[in-house]
Amino acid sequence: MSDHVDGPRQIGEPATDLTDLFAFTSPENPAHTVLAANVFPSAGVTAMFSNAVNHSIVVRRMTVAGTGEDAKFKPSDKEYRFSFRFDVLEHANGDSKPVQRGTCTCPDGQMLPFVVNDEKGVSTADGVFRVFAGLRSDPFNLAWAPAVLKKLPNLLQHDNVLAIVVEFDTRRVLSPSEGSLFGVIAEITPLPGRASPIGVNPPRYDWVGRPEQTNMRLNNPGIQGTDDLRDLWNQQTPFAIAEELKPVFHQKLVESLSNWDLRDGKADWSSGALHAAANVYLDDFLLFDVSKPTSDTSFFEIEKSTLRGKPYATGGGRTVDANVVDIMITWMVNDDKEFMQGGATGATKPGLKVFPYEASPNTELQTVADNVDLAASPDQVWALIGQFGGMWHPLIASVRLTGNGVGQLRTIETIDGKQIIERLEAEDNSQRLYRYTNVSGLGVVDYTGTFDLKPKGSGSSVEWRVQFLADNQATLVVRTIVATLMKTGFEALTKRFGALK
Amino acid sequence: MIEAPEIDLAYPLTDGDIAVNNLESARRNSWNRFWRDPLRPGIAESIVEQEQLTAPFVGDMGALDRLDSLVRCLDRVEAESPRTTLIRAQIASMGHRFAEAKRYLDEIGDWGELSEDANRLSLSIDQACGIDLEAALEARRWMAAKSRRLEDLVPLAALHADLREFDEADRIYQCALREYQGTSPFAVAWVCFQLGVLWGELIPEVQSSRAEYWYQKAIEYLPCYVKVRVHLAEVYLRHGRGKEAEALLLTAIPSGDPEVHWRLADVLAQMGRFADAKAQMQTARSGFEALLEKHLLAFADHGAEFYAGSGNDPRRAFELASINLANRPTLRAFEQAYEAAVDAGESERAAKFVAAAEHRWGATNAFRFSQLARTYGDKPASERSTA
Repeated sequence: MSDHVDGPRQIGEPATDLTDLFAFTSPENPAHTVLAANVFPSAGVTAMFSNAVNHSIVVRRMTVAGTGEDAKFKPSDKEYRFSFRFDVLEHANGDSKPVQRGTCTCPDGQMLPFVVNDEKGVSTADGVFRVFAGLRSDPFNLAWAPAVLKKLPNLLQHDNVLAIVVEFDTRRVLSPSEGSLFGVIAEITPLPGRASPIGVNPPRYDWVGRPEQTNMRLNNPGIQGTDDLRDLWNQQTPFAIAEELKPVFHQKLVESLSNWDLRDGKADWSSGALHAAANVYLDDFLLFDVSKPTSDTSFFEIEKSTLRGKPYATGGGRTVDANVVDIMITWMVNDDKEFMQGGATGATKPGLKVFPYEASPNTELQTVADNVDLAASPDQVWALIGQFGGMWHPLIASVRLTGNGVGQLRTIETIDGKQIIERLEAEDNSQRLYRYTNVSGLGVVDYTGTFDLKPKGSGSSVEWRVQFLADNQATLVVRTIVATLMKTGFEALTKRFGALK
Repeated sequence: MIEAPEIDLAYPLTDGDIAVNNLESARRNSWNRFWRDPLRPGIAESIVEQEQLTAPFVGDMGALDRLDSLVRCLDRVEAESPRTTLIRAQIASMGHRFAEAKRYLDEIGDWGELSEDANRLSLSIDQACGIDLEAALEARRWMAAKSRRLEDLVPLAALHADLREFDEADRIYQCALREYQGTSPFAVAWVCFQLGVLWGELIPEVQSSRAEYWYQKAIEYLPCYVKVRVHLAEVYLRHGRGKEAEALLLTAIPSGDPEVHWRLADVLAQMGRFADAKAQMQTARSGFEALLEKHLLAFADHGAEFYAGSGNDPRRAFELASINLANRPTLRAFEQAYEAAVDAGESERAAKFVAAAEHRWGATNAFRFSQLARTYGDKPASERSTA
């Protein structure tokens, strides 16, 4: 995935794992530039930022120092650094939901305090800078099995990430009259430490320039049995890869690009072109030109045009909705001869046209599950509960079936007069399992229930699992209703069949 | 006086509160993703990893139950695969069902060469069962030298501790702290806890102040670390610091870990609050029995320790210690079973345990440091061959 979980070091601490970096012209104001970096792959809905690190987005002005097979982008020394730090959690009185605050230090030294997950963000008094930090829907779309190049649904569907977003007045911050081409990276670095005999301060935990430098190029999943260089790469200094290691990384990139080229069984790249592309990738920063437009398809156009010996035509960069994996795979596999569309055309949600541009987080389905062990054979128990229209639950007064097989509806009248309609979605009597959804009557959406019966010892074990999103009522209320349904049902089954000893 | 060198990591770790919040958040999210698509690449493995963190660090006793439901679901959707079988093996091992875990690993071997993860698990099981520790030591040394990573150094140190090479264990644990370059408080708190146990429980002459130091460090990095709270409370209890022990344990009660109630009962009894102590002891007893009913092998040694102590049921202690010994015949399991047999008046069985321990461990240095060696040495020659 883009830069998701890109090294053994990241696995123990996902909050310091950078996933993606974006640079684009503000959809709200063309005179503004937006930079965004995401951390924490598959973050849960209560995820918070680590207070132990600096999260930085760093921009340097670039010049085109060579074209064609000599393509090269040279960074200037001056950097524009946006640095985000986060505090420990605050637990407000009586509120179980903790609050986290943070501060962004802007390139001009202004410090912007903010509250995590405040969608409006916060701006400097002069209106030059605006920042946001918080949970968002993951804008990344990976719809391939990269090792075998097989199309899949988006592997990050429904996922969230923690995003930091900064929008600023392009002219006042970057002075594009001095040069409009820029490179940007994001990095996670340790906070300044204290002297100690124990512990080693690593230079950085993770950094990212272009997407998929680590997981698809340096650690090409189509090549087995080679050394994993990702942790070594992550500790390099952005804009200044160690000279002594450049040959190692370059060789790895050439091997990787060569492998990608042959994935369709055809060699579209000359040796010289592969080495030139590897050189460009070795300088790993996301290029954007603030004097030209960025779009969902302009990603990597600056590099590609320069490698082809032509002037670039777009602002490059990377928008939230850019389908970067398909763009990169197409280029690496067939040199843009035929677009390679993965198994999904976009991320879970499209980006927003307004600040903070990354889409609102995906809601987490609620799960309620319970099980009971019964002193009766699986066949005996399934004969009772395996019927979609079965009348065994003490809270049910009547069940009426409409239709047959998968797709049939059951209309349940409860003993207190409520009506619930459910639809059979799947059944497998040989596996003693059926799945149903709720159509109406429970105040929920996306409700799926599953009955699953397995032999256990001399008896059987029943699992009843329900997932849902509450609709116009408190989640706790629905959870209580569902849990009560399960408890009462299982008590009735235990009374009927006896508990398994 | 604290004999341990002061630990002051040069870099900050993520606050324990945030780390636990994020672990819980990620764990719930992983389950959500799993139920949406149980075959999603890597999701079952993420859950195993997150539940393996949740159980010891948050003291969440439900982790094993949840992992059983994971296996149950994978059995439905992808029963015959090396991936599911490795997950079964990992979960069986986590529940100390080592023979079952080994069977699964053998099955994976039938499919082809064992993966690195499977080999690591096999090594961990051998270590947990006290099988061929010399070979395990060689393998651990090789892995630790190659990676220099904390997750390889800590098992190596633990193995030295099992072999009663305490100074070497201490040296490697501290090396693990020096080598660590991450921000996760879990990893560092884990090492501190191991160092606390080393100096507070494993060495023959306990160094309480040193153990206390490391336990306090572990809590500093990870305040919710229930196991550490229990162990530190034991240290406080031994030194009559009941109030401090009580404060430590009260915050750990919501975890539901019966050891918390057990130690709290001991603390309250020491403070003369016998009615409260009795109530806590009852909660502890029912808690242990509930865990033993579901996951007998996982909690047999803890249960035996409880019943041999203030749980006050020597016969149950003997029963559980015997089960634990049959499951994992480590030197420590022999020692526990021997003591439980003596307390239960099972002198014949006690003698057999000593002989069996000598048969299995007699050639090792570790055995020479064991109480069992002295017991064995005290016996007449005619009684030394009843293994």
